[in-house]
Amino acid sequence: MKYLFLDTSTTNLVVAIVIDGKLSYLKNEPCGQSMSIRLMPVIDEALNNCNVKIEELDKIFVCNGPGSFTGIRIGLTFAKTLAWALSIPVVPISTLEALASGNASMALINARRGYVFAGGYNDLLEPLYDDRYVLLSEINTDLPFVSYDELEVNTNIPKIDVLKIIAKHENDKGINPHLLNPVYLKQTEAEEKLNG
Amino acid sequence: MDKYILAIESSCDETSVSIIKNGCEEISTVVLSQMDIHANFGGVVPEIASRNHVKNITLVIEEALKKANMTMNDIDAVAVTYGPGLIGSLLVGLIAAKTLAYAYNKPLVPVHHIAGHIYANNLVKPLEFPLISLVVSGGHTDLIYMKEDYSFERLGGTLDDAVGEAYDKVARVLGIDYPGGPIVDKLAHTGKDTYDLPLPLNDNSYDFSFSGLKSAVINKIHNEKQRGNYIIVENMCTSFQNRVVEILVKKTMKALKEKNVKNLIVAGGVAANNGLRERLTIECEKEGIELTVPEIKYCTDNAAMIGAAGYYAYKLGRRADLELNAKANDKLY
Repeated sequence: MKYLFLDTSTTNLVVAIVIDGKLSYLKNEPCGQSMSIRLMPVIDEALNNCNVKIEELDKIFVCNGPGSFTGIRIGLTFAKTLAWALSIPVVPISTLEALASGNASMALINARRGYVFAGGYNDLLEPLYDDRYVLLSEINTDLPFVSYDELEVNTNIPKIDVLKIIAKHENDKGINPHLLNPVYLKQTEAEEKLNG
Repeated sequence: MDKYILAIESSCDETSVSIIKNGCEEISTVVLSQMDIHANFGGVVPEIASRNHVKNITLVIEEALKKANMTMNDIDAVAVTYGPGLIGSLLVGLIAAKTLAYAYNKPLVPVHHIAGHIYANNLVKPLEFPLISLVVSGGHTDLIYMKEDYSFERLGGTLDDAVGEAYDKVARVLGIDYPGGPIVDKLAHTGKDTYDLPLPLNDNSYDFSFSGLKSAVINKIHNEKQRGNYIIVENMCTSFQNRVVEILVKKTMKALKEKNVKNLIVAGGVAANNGLRERLTIECEKEGIELTVPEIKYCTDNAAMIGAAGYYAYKLGRRADLELNAKANDKLY
């Protein structure tokens, strides 16, 4: 089976190809504002490196947030359009779970003004602390923190274990690409104001 | 050989996909407008627009192909609005277009939003050159000279608010719900030009400025209120609209004369404005100028116009690579 794994929801673009349980390609590059420029060339490079034609892909695993709103939309628009085009399943993965997949840890993404998106996972990728939007100062945990962002706590750089993520989610049913949507975990400011 | 372009437009709050044959024939168009959603907020909220685009994009693509009774295999190229517009909104259409072009190995054609508005007229009748185009919408106010297909010379444009934006803002201070532009236009026809408002940027350039006029309306309302006077809303609408139309028509007619051009096309959402249409019709008749204004459905944002423009860009060999990015602002060339 040929799988594509993708995360565009943090500062780093992560693309991986897994063929029959083996990691055939992995790129994790700091991307900042150029996610929309880099995504397709890296996908192209990944497929070429592995000698995989795009129509041979069997499944897409994509991180659907939380994280950078624009970043998530870039990866998800790609994933849902491709899954629709190829009629293959697409499996959404929590971005925080992916960040925490290296070791049991609490993954953090800077959400500004003292807030973070936080999620804690054990070594089996079972949630210990459900993904949420929370003040960093309110998090009480024994888990080590991992994050790509500079925060006011000590953090380790995430080690994304694509094989572990895929092993856990390989048999997830996948969802209709039309229904694949970001998990923002936060309303827009306009909605917050309107809803009080 | 017939060429079919699948076009995607998502620069503001409409998710739209069209299939256009040979740049002039609309095979199918789907427009999913978010106007009702943004009406709750008194204007387009960029983050909400982006969220709705990503929700709808594949549904709209699928629907456009279904309506055309076609598959991606029947498509010769994918055209997409890369700018200008709201960056988050643009990105959704752009990534979808890049993905489709890549997955189906089709050429990817980048289209400037304003080129689309102009080429909306090509769906009505073939453009005749040379021409002047007045592009007026909620996001744009531009005077463009074209000596032939897909050659654009921008003569001037707004230095601040777009004309449609000024309409919506004036509507809001008059207590008219978003989007208030069309209502201001309607009320203007029932009122009298009684308020002393300035003719904005009345100079020799081809540029426009509407924020001063908008402020003049706000100040006038404020002053009248302080004096305990009621504002006669329809009269304010007439006074405001008369100034806007006068300056747009004046500079457009000047451009036609100086460039010695006999074809004028009006494009963009404000092309639906009756006050503007009436004045331009009269002036163009007087000067022997052929005026073309697209149907209302082609005035507002839609992918049909991107498909029409995209066909000509495609024929000229314009192609984008996988790095194509969305641009909030970009020169029309």
